[in-house]
Amino acid sequence: MAIIELQNVSKLYGFGDATNVALDEVSLTIGEGEFVGVMGPSGCGKSTLMNIIGLLDRPTHGQYELHRRSVAKLRPGARAKIRRDTVGFVFQSFNLLPRLTVLENVALPLAYKGMSLSRRLRQASNMLERVGLQEREYYYPRQLSGGQAQCAAIARALVNSPKIIIADEPTGNLDSASSRLVMELLSEIHKTGNTILFVTHNPELTRYATRVVYMHDGSVVHDEPTALGEIAATARKVMYSIPTKTEEDDLAGVSVLMKTVPDVTQSKTKAKSGRAAKASKKKPAKSKKKERA
Amino acid sequence: MSTNRGNLKMAMVSMRAARWRSLLTMLGVIIGIVAVVTVVGIGEGVKQQVVRQVGHFGKDLITVRPGRTANRGAASSIKNTDILFGLNGTSALSERDVQTVAHAPHVTLAAPLGVVPGTVQVDNGPKQDNTLVLATNSNLPGALNQALLYGSFFGPETEEDNVAVIGRQAAQRLFQESVPLGRQFSFRGQNFIVRGIFADFDTTPLSPTADFNDAIFIPYQAADRVTGNTTQMYTILAKPDAPGQTGAAIAAINHSLGNAHGGQHDFSVLNPEQTLAAGSNVLSLLTTLITGVAAISLLVGGVGIMNVMLVSVTERMHEIGVRKAIGATNRQILSQFVLEATVLSVAGGVIGIGLSLLIDLLLHAYTSLKPVISWQAIVVATVVSLVVGVVFGAAPAIKAARKDPIEALRHE
Repeated sequence: MAIIELQNVSKLYGFGDATNVALDEVSLTIGEGEFVGVMGPSGCGKSTLMNIIGLLDRPTHGQYELHRRSVAKLRPGARAKIRRDTVGFVFQSFNLLPRLTVLENVALPLAYKGMSLSRRLRQASNMLERVGLQEREYYYPRQLSGGQAQCAAIARALVNSPKIIIADEPTGNLDSASSRLVMELLSEIHKTGNTILFVTHNPELTRYATRVVYMHDGSVVHDEPTALGEIAATARKVMYSIPTKTEEDDLAGVSVLMKTVPDVTQSKTKAKSGRAAKASKKKPAKSKKKERA
Repeated sequence: MSTNRGNLKMAMVSMRAARWRSLLTMLGVIIGIVAVVTVVGIGEGVKQQVVRQVGHFGKDLITVRPGRTANRGAASSIKNTDILFGLNGTSALSERDVQTVAHAPHVTLAAPLGVVPGTVQVDNGPKQDNTLVLATNSNLPGALNQALLYGSFFGPETEEDNVAVIGRQAAQRLFQESVPLGRQFSFRGQNFIVRGIFADFDTTPLSPTADFNDAIFIPYQAADRVTGNTTQMYTILAKPDAPGQTGAAIAAINHSLGNAHGGQHDFSVLNPEQTLAAGSNVLSLLTTLITGVAAISLLVGGVGIMNVMLVSVTERMHEIGVRKAIGATNRQILSQFVLEATVLSVAGGVIGIGLSLLIDLLLHAYTSLKPVISWQAIVVATVVSLVVGVVFGAAPAIKAARKDPIEALRHE
């Protein structure tokens, strides 16, 4: 059953000549229980898409149905309530409030629900136990490692038992060990039936996803299902067989990822297949290092 | 409500995090509250002292003053009083008037009070030119209901002698002993013998009635003799023959004195309440003035709070974004920041009240002022600081609440 349905959603910034298209008529349907990885170069609109799906932002045009309810034109108060009850956010920079303890940070969404202090602290404590941080309840965020902080942030996102978890580069600030820890945690949450969307630049992490969406210049350029535990086919190409960008590519505005997407950039990639072979030698070495870590 | 408990904690945390800034912010409110509570307390204290004094002197003490001290409207209510009485050169009252008042119908006794300028010297010691010397007659203790602690007041037969009765404080100050009976001092070239010491008067600082505890009382004739009949009489005190006859006595004095002055009403006959009104007029004017200044200080304090809250909102923009992302509504953000401003301002109010109580203690200990801080003043101070917090916290809080979450999150 579709939980998120975007129909021709656009997001424009600025006016007139300076108009910047962050999302260009994106249509996307995400079913309940999917674990969706979103990939794409910087500035391709991944975060904007996440913000719109998470109801932090409003689309300029288009339809958005969440749970079959049209939410594109809701007022800020109503959007805040949906965020509170059905969406959990995980950010790249954790965004824990530095002056509150880990426990208080996790309990914060419950406060906005109007739950009593003792109940929300108990519930937050349970959630921290689930992410393996119960003994650090009374630490402050600055006293945690990056991985622990992100786990605490995930606990905060989960404490309201939301249907949807949106993670915008959850491993962007983490080393590979911590990244794995965080992704394992998200994977476990996924098993309990949550729908999870996460943005990543690391093809390795598509192992955890059931579906990978590729974006470029505000559009979804490729969308493929992937088996759990397998690196998505297209993402794998980025890792092993994609040539580095040439000067010509730069002039044409072609990104590395773009070259991997067959239907959009097929002609361009063919032309450069000769160079691709050379570049591919470097990449596997890098990924081996990651596996060791 | 439980959200507010979290917010309250958050407000405390952010106050502690910026301790100095919070203290400086509160300073405006603290000064305002201290000023209002203390000034109102002093005013209230003086008022109570005056009331006590009137109670002590008796509700039927009639005061005759030179000049038209009071303007009366319809039904003889006082419209306004001239606080500058006595500054108009020579007094319109004379010793003859004392007799006129004393012989008016319904009046039992009359006592004059005149200021005798000059310096007092004890045993060739230093000249005490700040001692108040008052000329009066033998009826004064009766008029004021005032007992003597030691010795006796001068009777009618000794009214021409160089004798004196002094207040307790004057005794200590001039003679360094509490019972200087029989000791002498020189005043305008003549020696006076102390023959009595008054019991404590209820002092009335700031009231036009001078501090009698620190005064020397000498007979009127003696005063006339040493000054060559230039003693300025500033009051004639009179008592009616029966309680409840005050009104009749006042009318009679007005009539008799008016006749004696050839129809000129260049004097005022006042009952105790009216005497009080003349004094408390100055007082309430002062109180209003200082309260006004203090109110401005509160206003400035409020602006300070607004300023700091604006800075705080900008500083914590990212936090606002995070809170919104995890589901805080605009209203919840608004209430958080209003609460913070209110906590700042109420904390300032509480510190202000504490300081006022301290100042009150110090005033009691080291001055003759006896401020009375009423619970009403404390309640009003608290409410005012609460209102200041809410009113001046509102603008920054609205700014915070309306912030777009994405923009706020991008803010570092």
